Amino acid sequence: MATLIRSNRQLAWVFDLNKCIGCQTCSVACRVLWNEGEEGAEQQWWMSVNTMPGRGTPKDWESMGGGYDANGVLQSGQVPTPEQFGGGWDYNYDEVLRGGHGRSVHLQKTAGSKTWGMNWDEDEGAGEFPNAYFFYAPRMCNHCSEPACLEACPTGALFKREEDGLVLRDEDTCQGNQHCAGACPYKKIYFNEARGVSQHCIGCFPRIEQGVAPACVRQCPGRAAFVGYLDDDDGAVSKLVKKWKVALPLHPEMGTKPNVYYVPPLAPAPLREDGSFDEGGDRIPPSYLEGLFGTEVHGALDVLRTELDRKRRGRESEVMDTLILYRWKDALGHLDRDPAEIVWE
Amino acid sequence: MAEAISRRTEGTWADVYRDRWTWDSVHFGSHAVDCYPGGCSWRVFVKDGKVVREEQAALHTPVEAGIPDMNPMGCQKGACWGHCHYSQDRVTHPLKRVGERGQGKFERVSWDEALGDIADAMLDAIEDQGPEAILSLLTPEVGAAPARLFANFLGTPTTDGNAEFQDFSPGWHLTWGLYNPVSTMDDWFLAELTLIWHANPVYTNIHWYHYLAESRYNGGEVVTIAPDYSPSAIHADHHQPIRIGTDAAFALAMCKVIIDAGLYQKQFVQEQTDLPLLVRTDTGRFLRGNEMMAGDREDQFFWWDTRTGSAVPAPRGTLATAGVDPALEGRFTTTLVDGTSVEVEPVMARLRRHLEDYTPEKAGEICEIHPDNIRQLARKVATRKTKIFIGWNSGKYYHGDLMERAMALLLGLTGNWGKKGTGTRSWAIMGMDGGSFMARKAGPGQEEAQKLITQLMAMRRLLTLEDPTLTAEMTQNRAAEAAGELGGMGVVVPPAFVWYHQFGYKERWNNPENNDPSMKRTFDEYIREAVDKGWWDQSYAKAYEEVEPRVLFEAGGNLLRRQRGGQKLLLESLWPKLEMVVSCDYRMTTTGLYSDYILPAAQHYEKLGNSMPSVHHLNFVLCDRAVEPLGEALPDYEIGVRILAAIEDRARKRGMREFKDRKGNVRTLENLVATATLGGAMREEETRFDESIRDNAVYGVLPKGTTLNTLREKGQVRFTGWGTVGHGISQASTIKEDEVHNPLRWHTEDKVPYDTLVRRAQYYIDHEWFLEAGEELPTHKEPPAHGGAKRRFMMTSGHNRWSVHSMNMTNNVIMNTYRGEPFVCLNDDDAAGLGIENGEQVKLVSDVGESLLAAKITPSCRPGQVIVYNGFEPYMHENWYSQADLEPGHVKHLGLVGNYGHLKYRMFSWQPIPADRAVRVDVERVA
Repeated sequence: MATLIRSNRQLAWVFDLNKCIGCQTCSVACRVLWNEGEEGAEQQWWMSVNTMPGRGTPKDWESMGGGYDANGVLQSGQVPTPEQFGGGWDYNYDEVLRGGHGRSVHLQKTAGSKTWGMNWDEDEGAGEFPNAYFFYAPRMCNHCSEPACLEACPTGALFKREEDGLVLRDEDTCQGNQHCAGACPYKKIYFNEARGVSQHCIGCFPRIEQGVAPACVRQCPGRAAFVGYLDDDDGAVSKLVKKWKVALPLHPEMGTKPNVYYVPPLAPAPLREDGSFDEGGDRIPPSYLEGLFGTEVHGALDVLRTELDRKRRGRESEVMDTLILYRWKDALGHLDRDPAEIVWE
Repeated sequence: MAEAISRRTEGTWADVYRDRWTWDSVHFGSHAVDCYPGGCSWRVFVKDGKVVREEQAALHTPVEAGIPDMNPMGCQKGACWGHCHYSQDRVTHPLKRVGERGQGKFERVSWDEALGDIADAMLDAIEDQGPEAILSLLTPEVGAAPARLFANFLGTPTTDGNAEFQDFSPGWHLTWGLYNPVSTMDDWFLAELTLIWHANPVYTNIHWYHYLAESRYNGGEVVTIAPDYSPSAIHADHHQPIRIGTDAAFALAMCKVIIDAGLYQKQFVQEQTDLPLLVRTDTGRFLRGNEMMAGDREDQFFWWDTRTGSAVPAPRGTLATAGVDPALEGRFTTTLVDGTSVEVEPVMARLRRHLEDYTPEKAGEICEIHPDNIRQLARKVATRKTKIFIGWNSGKYYHGDLMERAMALLLGLTGNWGKKGTGTRSWAIMGMDGGSFMARKAGPGQEEAQKLITQLMAMRRLLTLEDPTLTAEMTQNRAAEAAGELGGMGVVVPPAFVWYHQFGYKERWNNPENNDPSMKRTFDEYIREAVDKGWWDQSYAKAYEEVEPRVLFEAGGNLLRRQRGGQKLLLESLWPKLEMVVSCDYRMTTTGLYSDYILPAAQHYEKLGNSMPSVHHLNFVLCDRAVEPLGEALPDYEIGVRILAAIEDRARKRGMREFKDRKGNVRTLENLVATATLGGAMREEETRFDESIRDNAVYGVLPKGTTLNTLREKGQVRFTGWGTVGHGISQASTIKEDEVHNPLRWHTEDKVPYDTLVRRAQYYIDHEWFLEAGEELPTHKEPPAHGGAKRRFMMTSGHNRWSVHSMNMTNNVIMNTYRGEPFVCLNDDDAAGLGIENGEQVKLVSDVGESLLAAKITPSCRPGQVIVYNGFEPYMHENWYSQADLEPGHVKHLGLVGNYGHLKYRMFSWQPIPADRAVRVDVERVA
């Protein structure tokens, strides 16, 4: 069992769920960069965006356990199966396009799950028309401050980097016994059968080494993603998380102290039975949001509503200006180098 | 300890990752496609001769102080476009069909064999029936356009994209006489109220959506108006769940609230709109100059001067009311030139009576919206800078013109256009002059470009000799109507006529069952009258009564996926007439599978060009050649030139030197390549592209001195002018270096008249057909029961999230981010009633076809609604029938009007367009 190393500094991510549009550009950017085309990684989406409420990926991950209980005891949790992750699809392109079979065959999945995928329940949501509700939540490794995966790892393959707090895996040491995947309450650890190792988000450490922001943040067209050190008081991440407390960790009750934070979602006013607007009402049940982000969510939403109102009355608001992100580079913290400037020797 | 930890990332495993993020070279890239013309600038990373990935260039500098920048523009499709280069549906060699059409059996052939056969088929068609027997389809992939070079030389009609892929906002044209005035997306930030209406920007504007979210954070309010709780509703303040197809009633009820409360902007209304113009109460027609004074113009209109108590001419040369306070109410009597007295009233008075049918209570019933919601929103629109964020969804409804006219009325009453943070949006392009005018230059060099543009401008000035009040917009539009000057694509025609006579629609459009009840005669009688009266003489309207298409050339498009009306119609009525079907594409489409030849085009990082010049961000964006084309694929321009060479060669062999087209023009078959390449000087892609950029600088579209090298350094350059092709002038505002763009400012600030019949924003259309249909004013009409009156569901659609049309639908990376198969959204209660489970295969049935799809069940879908996002390849469905196969593809007969002021054809403008929304279907379980 590995010993947990406290990092000197902690890199953190913030996703603004009021700007996230579920486009999966972060997911695609990550996948194309790190594991698209890799044998054994067909089902791996280190970054994925799901419609909430929903069963997500892996299917029903929120009920799979892991993390720590209230007494700080490690929970072994469930190791998700390939079928629960779903996806991994390839198709019969050749048969359809070159097989000479005409309409008797059509493009179909030839590999992977028949019943699930990384974004299978996209845009389904919950509620009852016209008061349906949903929102999008990007999920990645939380690079936790109390990483259950690390504690569960019997080979010492997992470690937390001192300089930035990334939770990384020495894949040369990893033996693929998947205790980490069971212990991770967020179920963002995948197993590569071809190589016999587990794999998860590497925090884009090769980019960070060059001063370039992680792909999921730098490529987010919704400008919903922020990265930076939590102790950089002038940075957007620190302002949102520490100063204004409008960005909250997901499922804090899992006890791993995650370092990915979310600005919780507002939603349109619900309609009353007669079709008029219930201006003070909640379209998304507060209890649902509390289940995701804890009781702090109410305070965060209150700040958002208050600050929105300030702007509507023509007043200044640091929170709103930070979320508006007048200058995109402010989302990248100290990692604002343009990768195209790099010339590899 | 720190050392020990650092060592952990020195392992071989870490180097594998480090190595993965390296490259040999990096290039600027973009995608010359019609997404929303994005033209996102990307960095394309190349390693070992292959594209390994791309990342947004993100080099936008802020334009106006206090407004967020545009970085990092680019979506998930762009983020894995390189994957399409190497995908299994990529075409890399010329293919000749060896099996039946549609069977999918091809053999590799040489370019010479393929192009020789295609050239022969074209020459056969010309000999047999003339060049009109070759159909070139204008498809939205601009990068593919150079493959259709032959059309410029053979006099082959190219079908107008407005109808071909149905992207037109007829209501905007009817109101303003303009093609889609839009603001740049940074202007969205300034709106105080944004109505997302007939649009789903969360899917279709991924690269720009943030400005909506940011406008909300800036204190603006966002309201969505849609039948379903659409993905774009989730970040709104209010969502109005409107009954399908009733949007005009909703807008008109808001207009009524605003007028009744006296909240309308009187001066704006008097000055910018036709609401003060006088209409005769006996005929319902405008009072006209030739009725008031012998020899006066028929297109002189009048208003009632409340000070002098008389009908006076509304100036044609300016919008300024010049001291007159035109009446907006009342009935008056005036004497005509023949001495008779007639009663007249301003359009506004008629509008007030008309709106009695649209009280919030009545409209609330129609729209299934609480009347208070209408009242509240109306007051907000009247008191805030309001923008209607709209796409091309409304125009795809049969009565979408009425919806758009009603929305334009709402904006006009409240003064909500021609200033920052207001107006409508749709889709707009501009500044394509350099490439388009190339073949018209007498030779290479920028001096020739200067001569050409001087000549063009002189010709336009000639037009103003006859009428000195003609504005720049008007002269450009008149020139386009007369000469087809736009686009450099040769003859462009509205396709409705060839569809009617040759594609098999005649029976369908004349079937009285389920058709538009406002048609008092058969469709055939309307089309006959329009053609006999010469309204469409420039448009081969008569030709296709006789000419049967023999060759179909599809470059970068996918007719069998796209055509409203379905494959059955095309395969049964059109395909048997065709001797040659060509698909020129980088990927194997359903249309490709039904083609005789597939020509392999270079992918977007394998050729040189620019993305679609987009008004939305005002940058000319470079698509550089990052890698060599795969296999034998060729850049589209090279294909275009080689086709010309093959035509020359085959014509010479059969001793054919020239021919006459239908209009009597003699067209040569000699020296085609030399003419197209300015005597060979523009034979190479790179030389030609550099020349087009340098010419653009001469034409004022780009900064002086811009060259290909400038683009290679910067990736993109901000436009300096609209150019004279590409509808830029429809923006009717001056591009300013340090300001966001908002259109129509020439009209609101400089009082320049509009290019409509009455020279004002025109809500009253007094054409006899409009009067007959009861559509002289914006009104609400239920969508006709296309698809079958008794069917239980109404199908809506819209662009999907995962693909630009069908281009990325088969990209395996993208397919893994959704269900990876075609699906239909159903309301949960509806599904339960039918016993349908989530994911189960269901059949959608209409009167014209059926389609098999997987059910996706969600309470966001309105009861009675089914949503099928479009773009799925037919071959992704069992039996290959897709959503378009359920759509009858009717056109509204009023689109045939062609003799009324601004209701006249020019490229990408007014014409009959097909409807495909609100089709009635049934949903059946598949046993």
